[in-house]
Amino acid sequence: MLTNSNINPMTLKQYQVLRMAVAVILGVIFSQTIIFQNYLVPIVAVTVAMLVLILAKKKVKGVIADERDYAVGGKAALLTIQIYSWIAVVIMFFLYTKRELYPSYEAIAITLAYSTCLLMIGYGLIFRYYNKIAFLDKKMIYTVLFIVAFVAVVIFGLRLLSGEDDWICSNGQWIKHGQPDFPAPTVECK
Amino acid sequence: MANGSNTASRISPRRLLNVNKGMENKIKELRTKLNITQEELAKLSGVRRETIVFLEQGKYNPSLKLAHDVAKILKVKIDDLFKF
Repeated sequence: MLTNSNINPMTLKQYQVLRMAVAVILGVIFSQTIIFQNYLVPIVAVTVAMLVLILAKKKVKGVIADERDYAVGGKAALLTIQIYSWIAVVIMFFLYTKRELYPSYEAIAITLAYSTCLLMIGYGLIFRYYNKIAFLDKKMIYTVLFIVAFVAVVIFGLRLLSGEDDWICSNGQWIKHGQPDFPAPTVECK
Repeated sequence: MANGSNTASRISPRRLLNVNKGMENKIKELRTKLNITQEELAKLSGVRRETIVFLEQGKYNPSLKLAHDVAKILKVKIDDLFKF
């Protein structure tokens, strides 16, 4: 049968080159959008890049990743989480002790602490899913519950990260909300 | 008194899950005998060529399915393929 995937088949090498090119292009787009403070373009760019890579993946003749890649990937991911967590905790404590000198350090320390907690909770939930839930008879119910729990944790984490004390832009002026430790943003309030 | 079964239970899960430590095997020998290249064996068993290289060098423990597939392609039993 003639399908889209075998009209113009792609080699593994071509796919890898394309993947690298997409990563470079995304990096350039991200850096430029940060400079111009446009946050819609990176979302569109990531979506387009994902679609391009999914389509390209379907055209590849051959095995992109096998069981050994997944085993190595799992091990690398676990080690990365452990290294990141330790580094984040050490930096967090260091910044927190220096918060009297530089008030903005407190916000960075809290962000690091919560991002580490979220990462570890996320890992724990996903591990639990693949370890037990994925093999259960009532998989669908548990999957929905798992997604709800995961979303709740993310929302709760974001809520904690956002904090009560901040600067709010209102009628062209930065207005204090609560007791922020850091000065008002220097960017123009529109 | 230590025996074979006790030795297996003493090996830590980390050691067993070490993806870079595999078992000795006769894959290369049998593959050469059947005149099959690493690329062909990889294609037939649905893995990348690198995985076959690591398997032959005894640097990777395959899954039961991959071991079964490779044994089937090389026309031997799993027991005859790996040195347990």
